[in-house]
Amino acid sequence: MLLILPIALLSAYTWLPGLLTGQGEPLQILALALAWLVFNALFVLMLTTGHTHRYRSVLFILIAVALPLDFIPWMIKTYGSMMLTDDIMFSGGASFCPLTMPMIIIPALLKRVVIFPGELLPTGAHGAFSVMFIIWVAASLALGRGWCSWGCFYGGWDELFSRLPKRPLIKDKQIDRRWIYLPFAVLLAIVLLSAIAFQPIYCEWLCPFKIVTEFQAPATILAIVQIAIFVTLFIGLVIVLPLLTKRRIQCGLFCPFGAMQSFLNKINIFEVRIDPDKCSQCKRCIRECPTFSMNESSLESGKPLMTCTRCAQCIDACPEGAISYHIKGTSLKASPAVARALFLYPAFLLMGIIGLGTVGMGLWRIFKLITTGSML
Amino acid sequence: MAKIKSILGYMVAALSTLIMLATIPGLMFLAEPLISVTGLTISPKYSGGEVVRTIDHDAYQTQVHRMVFDDVLIGERKEGFIQVNWTPLDRLPARIDEEIDADGDGQADFRVEVDTANKETTLTPYASWVLGLEGTYEPEGSLMIRVRLRNPSQITR
Repeated sequence: MLLILPIALLSAYTWLPGLLTGQGEPLQILALALAWLVFNALFVLMLTTGHTHRYRSVLFILIAVALPLDFIPWMIKTYGSMMLTDDIMFSGGASFCPLTMPMIIIPALLKRVVIFPGELLPTGAHGAFSVMFIIWVAASLALGRGWCSWGCFYGGWDELFSRLPKRPLIKDKQIDRRWIYLPFAVLLAIVLLSAIAFQPIYCEWLCPFKIVTEFQAPATILAIVQIAIFVTLFIGLVIVLPLLTKRRIQCGLFCPFGAMQSFLNKINIFEVRIDPDKCSQCKRCIRECPTFSMNESSLESGKPLMTCTRCAQCIDACPEGAISYHIKGTSLKASPAVARALFLYPAFLLMGIIGLGTVGMGLWRIFKLITTGSML
Repeated sequence: MAKIKSILGYMVAALSTLIMLATIPGLMFLAEPLISVTGLTISPKYSGGEVVRTIDHDAYQTQVHRMVFDDVLIGERKEGFIQVNWTPLDRLPARIDEEIDADGDGQADFRVEVDTANKETTLTPYASWVLGLEGTYEPEGSLMIRVRLRNPSQITR
């Protein structure tokens, strides 16, 4: 109970400021309160049952599904459709997203410009640059690539479809492990191409999640080609391949932002460790890891690869209890329960900051649909 | 040494929670200083660049932005654009007919005529480096054109 009470208060603190400003209507307050209850109930279950992934996953999927439930009606109400026209982009109306971060770094450092048609400071639109930047820096310092399983508001789509089948149709042995380098290649390509073209190449050409947020209006043949690519990537990487492999293919084998976060794992204090004394070499963790971050060498070294998203699927799945969260610098025999608690606090807070409002607002749109017949 | 490393490890781990806790007030108090200290701006490709001249008419204003050739990492592009906005949108006349000095030398470089109802636009270049109309747009609260230009500094070289 002592562990739960502070987090309940702290997660309320992530959405209370919005309510205290008096912007919320009763239905919205109800939806946010319900979201808060769900979040904290699942956190209580996480703490009391010891199953991290099981309950994290529910929240993670909820956030991803809730985002378009709120975002698309907001786009339609504000701009008339979910399509970005030149008029909207020249008004700075595109919503900034953390996936843009790798592309803006070089132009921001060298020319102090942000190559994105959004706004720098929040003025009412979704996702201003400054807001996303602060959240990203904090989350990267606190959790490294933990962002990808605790903070990303898109990854839940991948996770949803990867969890639907009981068994994978494409078995682990049929997947060439060299694909894990593809996200790093995509990262390098988009960073360089964006710096050369001075525009966010990934957003314009490769982001599968444009389909569940906003995309450029099909006013030209080029824009139609871009939309076709978004649809193909979403269906292929986020729906079909996760259904066939039971893996988060977009997150593990494509996402350049995830690749960038992998490097931040190196400076992050938390890690996942495998106790060689307890490990029975059953290799279940290798088969279960959704982002291909476990391999034979992981079992030898006692660590997953740098691409680990700290989702805890391997921790939950290990029949010997050999895998646990660990704090770098502490003894390998140190209490895993303490390391887990110290990890879960910031991880859950990130989830609250990113997702509590998102789930609450998504729920509010559903309530609106039921009570008024419109989500707008 | 191992004990010190262990204590430091736990301290940094606990600090992670404090970092996430500081994020919410950080959003409120750090956003503006972050932008002002770093001097970041939105790329002129999207913002149109800074307004360099404002012409006051009775009911509305003409805002002439700087010529943009620097939306590139190193150096300047051979071709760029200039953006002109008329604002506020609801007080514009039925027809705008205006000569614009793009490079600030006191000479008009092109003439633009816009039917504000249907955004039909006619551009008459005076200077050889004015290439043509890129488009007429209606961003929030204004009417706007972008005119394609050849970089004058690269012509004289």
